[in-house]
This record gives sequence, C-alpha cells and structure tokens, in this order.
Amino acid sequence: MAPTTQAPAAPVEPPSATTGPAPVRPGRRRTTAPEAPAGLRPTRTGKLVRAVLLALASVATLFPFYAMVVLSLHPQGAVELPGSLFPWRLTGEAYTEVLGARDVPRWLFNTVVYSLVSVVGVLLLASLAGYAFAKKRFPGRETMFWSFLSMVMVPYHVTMIPTFILISKLGGVDTYWGLIVPTLANAQAVFLMRQFILGLPDEIFEAARLDGCGELQIFFRIVLPLLKPVLATLGTFVFLWHWNDFLWPLIVGQSAEMRTLTVGIASLQQEQVPLNQVLAGSVIAFVPIFSAYLVGQRYFTEGVVGSAVKG
Amino acid sequence: MAAVAEHPRPDRTVRGSLRRKEAWAGLLFVLPCLVLFAVFRFGPGLGGLLLAFTDYVPGDVTHFTGLENFRRLVADPLFWSALKVTVVYTVLAVPVGIGASLGLALLTRRAFRGSKLFRSVFFLPVVTSLVLASTVFVWIFSTEGPWSAVMGFLGLPDQSWLSDSVLVLPALALVGIWSRCGYGMLILLARLQDLPAELEEAALVDGAGPVQRFRHIVAPQLRPAFFFLAVIETTNSFQVFDAVYMMTGGGPANASYSLVFQLYDTGFKYFDLGYASAIGCALFVLTVVVALVQRAVLGKEK
Repeated sequence: MAPTTQAPAAPVEPPSATTGPAPVRPGRRRTTAPEAPAGLRPTRTGKLVRAVLLALASVATLFPFYAMVVLSLHPQGAVELPGSLFPWRLTGEAYTEVLGARDVPRWLFNTVVYSLVSVVGVLLLASLAGYAFAKKRFPGRETMFWSFLSMVMVPYHVTMIPTFILISKLGGVDTYWGLIVPTLANAQAVFLMRQFILGLPDEIFEAARLDGCGELQIFFRIVLPLLKPVLATLGTFVFLWHWNDFLWPLIVGQSAEMRTLTVGIASLQQEQVPLNQVLAGSVIAFVPIFSAYLVGQRYFTEGVVGSAVKG
Repeated sequence: MAAVAEHPRPDRTVRGSLRRKEAWAGLLFVLPCLVLFAVFRFGPGLGGLLLAFTDYVPGDVTHFTGLENFRRLVADPLFWSALKVTVVYTVLAVPVGIGASLGLALLTRRAFRGSKLFRSVFFLPVVTSLVLASTVFVWIFSTEGPWSAVMGFLGLPDQSWLSDSVLVLPALALVGIWSRCGYGMLILLARLQDLPAELEEAALVDGAGPVQRFRHIVAPQLRPAFFFLAVIETTNSFQVFDAVYMMTGGGPANASYSLVFQLYDTGFKYFDLGYASAIGCALFVLTVVVALVQRAVLGKEK
C-alpha cells in the first residue's frame, strides 16, 4: 500500500513542533514566485549559468520518459544506440500485442476500480470522522483522535503481514474488497479533514441546526460542499497513491486477473516479455496520470506537498 | 486541543437534548472509521508485534516462541547484510537527493519566463510510479543502455551497474534521487518563498556575495525544511522496495537485498510470517531511532 516506495499513507508526519502542519486554508496559496528584488536579479552570466543548469536537469529528468515512449514504439528486437532513440521507424505493434494478447486491459480496469473506489471511500469516511472530531462533542473524542493519529507513526510494513493474514482468513485474497477495504483506514486523511473543518465557522452549522436540518442533512448539504478544496487535493493524492501502489496489490492479487497495472507490468518484466511490450505497458499506466497532471497540476502538488508541509 | 466555542442556547432543556443528540451524531459519524481502524490498523499493529514472538506459518500449528525470532535475527547474516544495504542506500540517496532538491529549488526560486514549467517538469517523476520508471531504468543501466555508453565515454566503469555488486547501490540511489528530488524541491521552495526579501537585500547592501548570502541568510532559514526532508526521505529510503524488486531482485549476490525486500521474501515467498514480523519490528525500531537522532542533531532550535 505504500505509494511508490513511500511512507504509509502519505508522507509520514514526524512528531515535531517545527513541522506540524498548519490547517489547510483555501485561497491562500501563492501561485507565482516573487520577482527578485532589483539588487538580487541575476547578472547576464548568472542567467546563462542558470539556463545551462536548468537544461541539464530537465534532460536528466525527462530522458527516462522520452526513452519509455520511443522504445515502446520501437519494433521488437535489438535496441541500438543511438539510432533507436530517434523515432525513425515507429510502430504500434507492442501496443497491439500488449492490449490483445496480454491481460493489460483487465489490469487497467482493476487499477481504475482500486483507485476510484478507494478515493470515494477514503474521502467519505475521513470527512465524516473529521467533521465529528472537529465540531461534535462526544465522550472519548480526544482519545480516539490521538489514537487514530498515532497510527500514522507505525510503518506500513509492520501492519501489512497481520492485515494480509486477516484478509486471507476472511477469504479476501484475490478479491476487490480484500484489496480495497484495508486501505480505507487512512489516518492522514482523517487528520487533514479535521484540521480543515476546524477552520470553518460554527455559526453555519448552528444556523442549519436551528432551521431544523437533521445531522446527516447538515453533513451532506452544508459540510461536504464547503470541503470542496480539500476533497480535491486529498482525492488527487489518494488516487495517485492507489494508482501507483505496488506491494499491497502484489501480495493480495495473486492470480493474473486480479493484478493491478503496476503488479502486471512487474510480472511482464519478470516473464522476460520483450522490452518494447513492457514499456508499452508502462506508457499505458502512465498516460492517465500524466493527463491528469497536465490538467490539474495544482491538485497534485498541493495533494502531495500540502498534506505534510508548512516547514 | 480543539476548543469548541460555547454558544448561547435558547433554554436549558433544549440544550441538554441538543447536547445528547450531538454526542450521538458525533459517535455515529466516527463509527465507520473507528471500526475500520480497529480491524485494519490497531488490530494488525498489535498483531504484528505479537506475531514476532511466534513461529506462525500458514496452515501449521502456531507456538509462542518468545524471543526466538529476535535471537535468530541477530544471528542471521542475511539480516545484517540487508541492514547494511539499506543503510548504504540511504546514506547515498538522502544527502545527494536533498542537495539536488536544494539545487533545483534555488534554480527555480525566482519568477522568470518558464520557471513554472521547469518546476512542473522536475515534479513529474514524483507522481510517476517507480515500478513504471524501473522498466526503463533497467534498460538505461543495461550494458546496451545509454548509462554504460556515457560512463565509457567519461572513462568510468562502463559495465552494467545493476549487475555489479559495488555499483548496484549507487545505481538504485540515482533512481531514487530522480524520483524524489522534485518533492524536496517543492518543500524548499515553499519555505524560500516565505523568506522576506529585505534580509537578503540588506545583506547585499552590506556587500555580501551570493555564497555568503546563502550561508548566513538563506540556509539558516531553511533549517526546519531540511530537518523535515531528512526525516521523510530517510524513512522512505529505509523502505526501499519497488525499485529493488523491479531492477535487481536483491542481486547480484544479495548486494541490493534491502530490509523490506527481506521482509517480503521471508513473508511471502517462504511464508515465514513470524520471522518476517520480527524484521518489520526491527525496521520500526530503526526508523524511530534514526528519526530521534536526526531530531537531536538537526532539529534543535537556536
């Protein structure tokens, strides 16, 4: 369940006062860097050095993506340098092969199910709990909240084995629910929701209550719409995390039909499938995330960074 | 925490019933999460600890074995080698990664034409699964790949780095840095943008050069961000798995066999789940200890 070799459920929060996250507030984000003050603007040589370094860093960052796409369109067979890196003879044969003869469409479907259901589930559960923790008074509230939060500290790998044993005892191996349900208990999401809701004025809820709205009505009609900004960033983060998740689907999805894309692509690579087909699989798994990143980059950066920071 | 403001309420009896209703609603709203947490977090957290003291293997009778797993761990050369691999990987990947993040942050700090585009580019690997990236990095580091060609051109070792027992960890660290340094860049940028320009301008007036300005004005302000990154990235590096699984399978000759890889191998290949839990506990203790050390060294406020 760890996101791309990463910490359990979002960047782990160290218990330090200096890094304690501030409540996420909408509309306070600075979108552009400040223009350098006159004296601090780079000189002409400075600009040149900066341009060269930026170009080098960009090439290093983008080359793997370029190679992934170009080599996935390369005909099967020996890859030669540097010829193969130029798109002279492009062919979609790897894609026809991967989408036709292999289980890639099924893996894509599994990944979509895993990511979307988890996003909806996590957001709903976390906003319900976050709302109660922030705005409702009930016995045991603080104890419960802090024990939730303490689970952020326990690394995922400690709980993974017992969770797997439990899921297999319940017959959840190789099922969608076995894959999804354990990931819905997301402490980070509950914490972020609570922090956000704490910043909302009580008067809105009081007014609705005095108008005779039921508790569920208040939640769905008033609270949820106010949560839109945090739902978007947190949702993006949870989606990304599930889309890229590897270890948990690897141990729960044991048959070929229940693999997610990451697990499937790993299996292609281990079965010595030709390079262009493995890379075609990678491109298929990458394109949805890349398109989403192009459209809603703000949500990605805020989701990944904003969930933890305010250094 | 969470001081809830008192509000004037119409009268006493209504107030009491509202209170009770509120408590019930609160409990009901928390309930689904609470059940899930009990079953899939608290339970397994405790279970993981208990399991480490048993010889649990699926489909076999389980015995309480006390400290046996930990005794075995201490005597297991593979565990020590995995620990060494994990630490070496972390020592290679984290400082260089944070350095790279700082470089990128300083390069894209000021607004100029394209500065946003560059930031988007550098962040792209962060949203990319390492599993997917690994498929292409395997080729990049193979003997036919561009890395060997470039290294050969520079007169450096040009064999496949992934099949060399010394160079495999630097290769994996490079992949880890590639995938993570955009994250650090954004963390540092957020901090840099909160920095008042007046300080640097004043230093400029006093005749401080760029290096001095960075050392005496910027760097001290970045300290909390560095600390935060060091903890996060070390925790991440200790859990290195995806790239190892995809690119080396722990080889050559266990030279990249990391702790989490050992946990996976022991637990899900040999189904020695009790022993795997003990490895998980060791990893947990290690993470906490290192975070505390980092806190003592880096986190102290002046």
